[in-house]
Amino acid sequence: MNGTTPVIYAQDLVKEFGPVRALDNLNLNIAPGEVHGYLGPNGAGKSVTMRVLLGLLRPDSGTIRLFGQDPWKDAVELHRRLAYVPGDVELWPNLTGGEVIDMFLRLRSNAGEANFSPKKRDELIERFDLDPRKKTRTYSKGNRQKVALISALAADVDLLLLDEPTAGLDPLMEVVFQEVITEAKTEGKSVLLSSHILAQVEALSDRLSIIRAGHIVESGTLSELRHMTRTTIEVETAQPTTPLHGLSFIHDMHAEGERTVFEVDGDHVGEVMDSLSGLGIRSIVAHPPTLEQLLMRHYGDDLSSRGVSASTTKKVS
Amino acid sequence: MTATVNAPRHAPSPASARQSSLAGMWTLLRFMLRRDRIRTSAWVLAVGLSGFMFATAMTSVYETQEDIEGIATMLGDPVMRMLVGPIFGMDAPTHERVFSAAYVLFIYIPIALFSIFTVVRHTRAEEQSRRAELIRANVVGRHATLTATVLLTTAANLIIAALLYVGVLAAEFGSEGSALIAAGGFVLGMFFTGVAAVTVQLSQSARAASAMAGAVLGLAYLVRMGGDMAEEGGSALSWFSPLAWSQQTAPFVEDRWWPLLISAGFAAVLIWLGFFLSTKRDVEASMFSTRLGRAEAKPSLGTPVGMAGRTLWGGLRGWGVALILTGLMFGSFAQAMMDAADDLPAEMAQMFSGDDIMLGYLAFMGVFIAIFAGAAGVSGLQQLRGEEHQGRAEYAMSAPIGRTTWLGSHLTVLMIGVAVILALAGLGMGLGAAVSLDEDGGEYIGQLLLATVLQIAPVLAIIGIVTTLFGWIPRLANAVGWLLIGFSGFVTTFSGMLDLPDGLIQLSVFSHLAEYPVEDIEWAPVLWLSVIGIIGLVLGLIGWNRREVNRV
Repeated sequence: MNGTTPVIYAQDLVKEFGPVRALDNLNLNIAPGEVHGYLGPNGAGKSVTMRVLLGLLRPDSGTIRLFGQDPWKDAVELHRRLAYVPGDVELWPNLTGGEVIDMFLRLRSNAGEANFSPKKRDELIERFDLDPRKKTRTYSKGNRQKVALISALAADVDLLLLDEPTAGLDPLMEVVFQEVITEAKTEGKSVLLSSHILAQVEALSDRLSIIRAGHIVESGTLSELRHMTRTTIEVETAQPTTPLHGLSFIHDMHAEGERTVFEVDGDHVGEVMDSLSGLGIRSIVAHPPTLEQLLMRHYGDDLSSRGVSASTTKKVS
Repeated sequence: MTATVNAPRHAPSPASARQSSLAGMWTLLRFMLRRDRIRTSAWVLAVGLSGFMFATAMTSVYETQEDIEGIATMLGDPVMRMLVGPIFGMDAPTHERVFSAAYVLFIYIPIALFSIFTVVRHTRAEEQSRRAELIRANVVGRHATLTATVLLTTAANLIIAALLYVGVLAAEFGSEGSALIAAGGFVLGMFFTGVAAVTVQLSQSARAASAMAGAVLGLAYLVRMGGDMAEEGGSALSWFSPLAWSQQTAPFVEDRWWPLLISAGFAAVLIWLGFFLSTKRDVEASMFSTRLGRAEAKPSLGTPVGMAGRTLWGGLRGWGVALILTGLMFGSFAQAMMDAADDLPAEMAQMFSGDDIMLGYLAFMGVFIAIFAGAAGVSGLQQLRGEEHQGRAEYAMSAPIGRTTWLGSHLTVLMIGVAVILALAGLGMGLGAAVSLDEDGGEYIGQLLLATVLQIAPVLAIIGIVTTLFGWIPRLANAVGWLLIGFSGFVTTFSGMLDLPDGLIQLSVFSHLAEYPVEDIEWAPVLWLSVIGIIGLVLGLIGWNRREVNRV
């Protein structure tokens, strides 16, 4: 396996369930060692993607390759190199958490080969503060998720498929999670991280993809995506900002006391700065779009059709 | 209400405290009716109308008085009493008496099962799925759920009883006896409502609660078997079985009502106990605190077979214990059968194919054990379907375990488990016979062991058929599996009593083996049933490899 083969390669992937098109010409590319954030509203097709990658579902058309191999045909071989954390973790109710973790580590280690490391397991159990002696039927959702996370992270694999891995975890555990993923990254592991927690994706991801209705609508590094979208500028000038009025790349211009607030398309920021400096800048604040704003742009019409205005949701950050 | 006007708003008087423990009960009851509108209606109609069906079917099968006398002689035999219950009034048999003697038990058992399933489904199963906490977070009193459940089950049992009464009357049977049959069904249903109301407090798992209540029903059946076999009209032992309290009313013969008071009394006490225990525990908790388990897995768990073993072990252990006890019990009746062989009616000889009534009886019971072992197999496959449904199969297979390995290891454990259960139940039957027989008992141990081991072939066939469905049409697997088991049970029980067409009998996989040890072994059916089973397993594995996992 040479270093240039993408870890995940999906081209024009289509998956239909009866009349529902769950994946609609989906393209996804993940390089070795990359942490890839996978964002999208509920029902956009994130979990279906994961299950196609695991070879549990068969795409109707398109190409999918994991480490250059077919996830349906070569499932067993590929699964030696990956670990999966399901979105809604169901465990065997009569096993303890510790037993589930060990079971997975042993199943993965192929009859006692060296890569089953109890040291790492114990360390993770400690860091995630899990009581491994309790039966899993008594665990909360967060604790079931910890079990799945520990058994995935303690395994010596090249790829982690994480489907909303921290949905039930408390903020302290969220911090631990970010630490261990960063460590996994330095070990050279690739990660596909589906998540709703934007701060988490922002902190961890090298690149990210936004999926909507089974289709990737945006993909790239966070700064690339920011470049494509609007920067917010709050400025106080000596002269009125009238020269900027009516320009096609300026949006939502309004006055807030002394200041003028507006958004500008990413590729016109330079021009706007030039004209502003001619007006005598007294103070200026410019901030790049938050990830949330990026998302709002892509889910926005979804929300407005449901009667939620973008401006009210923007304040929740 | 003037007294309460000035009282603090949230300080309830004792009377309103009682009321508030039932708050929301009627809403819950309506909700249950809405959720159950198809399932409960189907049960109520099927069980309620079965009385009419059995009654009219038997009236048309046994047309002449001669026919009636014939079946009455047959019912006089201890083996038949073991199957159907105490026999009353067979010296002057009529349609209604034969109906009450031979068929009513098979209406009562579904009533008991219905009551158990309904109570467990609305109480412990709701708690286990954590839906109960969603409900209890609303203005819902502590006792509202259990009360609504008991009311629902009571109402359903009342309707079943009413349908039974009307149905049996419609077959032109006596009015008081018909009323007794219906009332017997009702109190039995209430008894098992009470049993389930208690067992759901005891275990955190709905399956375990059902299994415990089911074990009470099984025990009631076994005790009744022993008691009713001993003498006509039942013996003292019979009276320890809740089933007997409903059957001892002797409808159309003595028409006595008082035995029903025993069931009614126990039902009241058990339901009260259920309410009492429910106040002693937290929502979603059991009466006993859960023990801590191992922090680390044994190496055996880290293999596909080890994983399958842990998944299936609980169910197999339950079936195993029940069937080994059943085998011991069946075996221990051997001497009684020897004694009965002296005044053997001609019909019996026909039914038990052979001169040796005792071995014939044991061979026949071996078939029943095999059907239950088949049920253990179907129940194991149902669990596999659950593994897939609840997402554990896909999680397990995210480890480097192939489809064939996953299903293959579960099937291996299941087949070995069922085979061991059959062998041990056969051994139990042999030991029971050896102990009870006055002479030469020991020589049957090996034969009876072999007899049940041969039954692996039809059980394998059932498992193969259901596995094929699991691989190709998973939606149908559970339903067809239980249908096959129910059908086999029906054919085996009634092939002698009703005039079943031969084609129908041949459809049951359990009708093909020679009745060893009373007959010689025929290897051909053993072979082709096994081949069906193996082909079924292979087809199932092929389908499982080709289809998608848990496609919704």
